[in-house]
Amino acid sequence: MKIRSLYENYRNFPKTDCGYCGNTSCITMLRRYCLGKLPLSKCIYFRAGAYNASDLSCGPPVLKGMPKSTISYIRPCPSDSDRITVEISLLTPENSKYGYFDMITAEKIFDQVVPGLKISPSLGIARQESEGGDVMGFSEGRMLVQRADSEGIAFRQLSRFVRSLWAAVN
Amino acid sequence: MLDTEAIRRDFPFLREGRIYLDSTATSLTPEPVLNKMLEYYRDYRANVERGVYKASQIATDALEKARGEIARLINAKPEEIILVRNTTEGINLVASGLGLKKGDRIVTTILEHHSNFIVWLRARDRVKAEVEIIMSNDEGFLELSDFNRAINGRTRIVAVTQTSNVLGVRPPVKEIIKIAHDKGALVLLDGAQSVPHMKVDVKALGCDFLAFSGHKMCGPTGAGALYMREDLQERIEPLCIGGGTIEDVGIDYYRLRSGPTGFEAGTPAIAEVIGMGAAASYLMGIGMPNIASHEARLTKTMLNGLAEVPKLTLYGPKDPRDRAGIFSFNLGKLHPHDLAIALDATAGVMVRSGHHCALPLHKYILKAENGTVRASVSLYNTEQDVEVFLSTLSEISKTML
Repeated sequence: MKIRSLYENYRNFPKTDCGYCGNTSCITMLRRYCLGKLPLSKCIYFRAGAYNASDLSCGPPVLKGMPKSTISYIRPCPSDSDRITVEISLLTPENSKYGYFDMITAEKIFDQVVPGLKISPSLGIARQESEGGDVMGFSEGRMLVQRADSEGIAFRQLSRFVRSLWAAVN
Repeated sequence: MLDTEAIRRDFPFLREGRIYLDSTATSLTPEPVLNKMLEYYRDYRANVERGVYKASQIATDALEKARGEIARLINAKPEEIILVRNTTEGINLVASGLGLKKGDRIVTTILEHHSNFIVWLRARDRVKAEVEIIMSNDEGFLELSDFNRAINGRTRIVAVTQTSNVLGVRPPVKEIIKIAHDKGALVLLDGAQSVPHMKVDVKALGCDFLAFSGHKMCGPTGAGALYMREDLQERIEPLCIGGGTIEDVGIDYYRLRSGPTGFEAGTPAIAEVIGMGAAASYLMGIGMPNIASHEARLTKTMLNGLAEVPKLTLYGPKDPRDRAGIFSFNLGKLHPHDLAIALDATAGVMVRSGHHCALPLHKYILKAENGTVRASVSLYNTEQDVEVFLSTLSEISKTML
């Protein structure tokens, strides 16, 4: 399934800011839905069927495999030859004007919420620490995982990272 | 005062606004040096010291002129300069040529680059020589009393760096040389990080050997020099022998040449040596004291700025008078490789990360298991380079830790 960005999902939202769901605005409601904190049924428009849940991404999709063209390199880690570093690039012509990740949005939604995830909008970097290898992502869609134990683990970490920031994809 | 803008125009690599702070690993190469190398390939491409035709004579003269310039850089005689590939080869030449035997003693320090460390451990393993390693304190300072205690009548050689490639600290080499000579030991100095950045005078220092690399002094990779006192050359066995090193060869004998060419087997890296000579001229044209004072100013700015970055641990001396423009540090628990990548990706700042070929120093003194990030300044860096580096570092510290 194609990842839908926050903005794509917002286009399929009421955008009335009516407040019936208990949130101050529709964008706040959407963000909380992204985080899994609220069901869509809280919104009177979705409850009445005026808007369809099927028009939204119901959550971060599972990425099955990574196209070979996106892989920049796979090589031994400079400081630990038993481990590897993998770099990929997800930037497509559609994203190229604005970059791949919107780190400002990413920080608003995910910072302090996803364990081990640190986001710097000013630098355009997000970094996620994990035992399988630390992942860094840049707003232009370049991502790399350092000190991964194997290729399989490296790509799982990259996939997990992309899913963590799914709502911040431009 | 250095005209940094004019100097920067000589370096094509810097034309795209890059911020290069990794001169400790390798320096950038200016156009005059590149032109000199290409001139060889274009105008007088011939082997040296072999042909009698004009182009070969020109090539030979150019190589010997380069040797002369390299000698002039450190106040040596051309006959005392042996052309090698790099500092590492120069040190290996001495280590293997000394004729070390069981019971001989070698003194070195924990600050050393692997090239001036493992060669001596290998000598210990091969011939059962003794190796004593002088430890430093946390900031990298060495005590002369430790040298006094460690060097004795059996000490053949004391091998020490003139500037640490990790901490920028400068051991008191003149005093160390005196102690060593008083007890009959030779002294080898690793000049890889000192010769490109300050006036080094081998006669004033009194060292017996000094090794340094062309690529760290604005020259090309593949050329280096070993200063060896003239009267020692008969006592040191060459590392390689073959064509170019002989006086005479018979069916069952050979006689090696005296002088530096006796150590230079095979065709040298001619263009590279010419480039190294041109680099020596380039640096002397600017003036080594001018380069040193420019880097001292940048060092002060850097140290003041690094002290303001939250959660940064700086290794080595904190006083700018006690160090060269080399700064190794860590930022919180951020892995050094991740920090180096972030600096490059966000601000085009190029720094080194890892153990900098100095694992013992990182393991036993710095206690930095993952290594450190190292930034270094040179004649083509500016205050603006330092400011961008510091501000990006601060931003990373505030938002990524």
